[in-house]
Amino acid sequence: MASLGGSSSSSTEYIVRVPKNTSKKYSIMAFNSGDKVNCSSWTQARMERDMSNRRMYGVEETEEGAAGSEFGKKQREEARRKKFGIVTREFKVEDQPWILKVNGKAGKRFKGTKKGGVTENASYYIFTQCPDGAFEAFPVNGWYNFVPQAKHRTLTAEEAEEEWGRRNKVVNHFSIMLQRRLREQERGPDDDDEEGEKGGKKKKKKGGRGGDLRIHDLEDDLELSSDESDSSGGEDGDSKPKKKGGDVKGKGKKKKKKRGSDSEANEDSDDGDFEGLEVDYMSDESSSEEEAGEEKAKSNKEAVPKGIDEASESEEESEEEKQNEEEGKEEEEEEEGKKTPVQTKKKRDSSGESDTSEDSDIDGEAASALFMVKRTPPKRGGGRGSGGSSRTGSRPGTPSIDSASTSNTLRAAASKLEQGKRHVVGGSSESPAAKRLKMESSSMAVTTQSPAPSGKSTPQPPSGKSTPSSSDVQLTEEAVRRYLIRKPMTTKDLLKKFQTKRTGLSSEQTVNVLAQILKRLNPERKNVNDKMHFYLTE
Amino acid sequence: MSEKGEVDLTGAKQNTGVWLVKVPKYLSQQWAKASGRGEVGKLRIGKNQGKAEVEFTLNEDLTMIDGLGDKPSGVQAPRDHPFTMQTVGGQTLAVFTETQSESSKDRISLEGLVVQRAECRPAASENYMKLKRLQIEELSKPVRLSQQLEKAVTTNYKPVANHSYNLEYDRKKKDEGKRARADKQQVLDMLFSAFEKHQYYNIKDLVDVTKQPVSYLKEILRDIGIYNVKGTHKNTWELKPEYRHYQGGEEEKETDD
Repeated sequence: MASLGGSSSSSTEYIVRVPKNTSKKYSIMAFNSGDKVNCSSWTQARMERDMSNRRMYGVEETEEGAAGSEFGKKQREEARRKKFGIVTREFKVEDQPWILKVNGKAGKRFKGTKKGGVTENASYYIFTQCPDGAFEAFPVNGWYNFVPQAKHRTLTAEEAEEEWGRRNKVVNHFSIMLQRRLREQERGPDDDDEEGEKGGKKKKKKGGRGGDLRIHDLEDDLELSSDESDSSGGEDGDSKPKKKGGDVKGKGKKKKKKRGSDSEANEDSDDGDFEGLEVDYMSDESSSEEEAGEEKAKSNKEAVPKGIDEASESEEESEEEKQNEEEGKEEEEEEEGKKTPVQTKKKRDSSGESDTSEDSDIDGEAASALFMVKRTPPKRGGGRGSGGSSRTGSRPGTPSIDSASTSNTLRAAASKLEQGKRHVVGGSSESPAAKRLKMESSSMAVTTQSPAPSGKSTPQPPSGKSTPSSSDVQLTEEAVRRYLIRKPMTTKDLLKKFQTKRTGLSSEQTVNVLAQILKRLNPERKNVNDKMHFYLTE
Repeated sequence: MSEKGEVDLTGAKQNTGVWLVKVPKYLSQQWAKASGRGEVGKLRIGKNQGKAEVEFTLNEDLTMIDGLGDKPSGVQAPRDHPFTMQTVGGQTLAVFTETQSESSKDRISLEGLVVQRAECRPAASENYMKLKRLQIEELSKPVRLSQQLEKAVTTNYKPVANHSYNLEYDRKKKDEGKRARADKQQVLDMLFSAFEKHQYYNIKDLVDVTKQPVSYLKEILRDIGIYNVKGTHKNTWELKPEYRHYQGGEEEKETDD
């Protein structure tokens, strides 16, 4: 070792030796500085290879010989693997990770994984100074990165997903692991010891969380007075400690079973929840009656929000229903194929169901495209009875007012409805009222296409014929005779000729009248195209 | 097994400090050629105005670089290598050794901790440039080589059947002869002993083992065995349950005729 003097530098020389034939293989054990590993504090350490990956590389041995084995299975498997080009890497012991246990069972555990590519382009050497002052350089064989292994319980992937979904609700995060531990306790008593141990450890560490009655750690955080509330809060998973009083132990157990999720806030329904809901159109009259009562209740409850219009409707039922009637009437009377507005209106009608049903009644008479089904009187009476009373009370004066104005079709229709209802209720004044309605309607028949009066509730007046309507076509014997002379017609054709709108009669009435006429005329029958045609020869 | 896995912590306790030095490949190759005690060079550590300077000088006799195939390439390795000192910042590096003695007792011992990291750099010199060029040339040679042939290749032809193989096959067949039906009892014995070894057998394998014609063998098998159509052991024969006697140890099963 020569020392050279320099002006302001001093240096010493050392001989570097690279010993050969050492049986020692040097490796680097790298720890993250954040882990604060102090090797000198280790009293005892054990390290061995982690052989858990052996079965991945080695073939999983099925039972050799006798039961379960096949003749020549190994060769066949190998041939198969070759055919598919599956190359299984060998299991090299030197490449396996290390497991380092420091200070026995209670100490830390580390897993050291080999870092690749260390010796590819450059070699690392360890320079140690020997007692004689020379340096000895040893090549580094491998580099292992050691990471500490967690001993505390961690959530599995599924559990983590669950908790992630509840992250906005759960305030008490300690209970998450607690619950998991308790669940495991329930599942297996075998695990209990381990769990209990860990639980015990936790107890000691954190002042007794988990379990039935323990002094809770959150006591300080939440500033609670009673211990019981703390523990219950911990168990619950909800930081609502004040709500529980005594008997936490019993409750606590049950709550643990519930996982505490039940007591947590349920998600309020968001805006988009009701979007896809479909509401039936009350076009089917037979069903609409039964739903009449329901719908009323529904509309009261506002169970399903149907938009602003409908919402505002259901608020003030009676008035809205009136409007429904009118608007409903409008649709029906128009009878065009304006589906969309009709449909929206129908929707609205559903809230004021009984009215719709009655509107449909009248429509049925008109045999419009929208409402097809005819009603039988008793059914209707029932439906009306439920709704009529309430409404009649609310609007006593309107019909008379409406009848006065002939221009407003809707009002007229509404008034008719009112009258119709009153018929049911009153009963005695039916016929004259019916007649009156018919007069009104007939007077309006010119300007409007109002449906026939609600004479359906009343027994069919024979005056169907006697009330001459100033319509273009009258259902008279003369008219029928004329048609039948001209050419043979089916009953259907005849009915078409005497359209109810123009004769001012209900379809039933028309049918009856026509039948009577035909009986009287007794026309001859002829079968054309499998249809019965009537004709007269003069 | 307390020996195995025990880590000798003497080095850690003494807090032995070592240096981790990154050395270029050619230098480590030269060091491998060292003879005797393994002296490879000199390390000079100096303090120049407060800064530590470390330099390694390679021994003269180790400067001969071998080219391809261990012949001298005429290039000399540079001799001076200053060390770049670095700190062991974000990592705590410890050095451990595995000792594999003949008695196959692996002993792991902790040698010490790394206190200084360094990189050994060659001083830029003519020699080094030449060396580098040599290296690059070697690396840039393609692995595969196309060669032009003067004569067409006539040595491979495709035989319809391998003649020697054919002859061998025919001879083998003649020797074996047709499979003769042996005594039923004998065949049964053979089958049982075969099934002792393995549970499932392919019919072809059984034919090989017993050397019986297929139909005859099948008849016998139908008596004592069942044919697996589905499941993992597809299309295999196995003994009927009453004939089976699979346990940890094998036992002869008496057959009833």
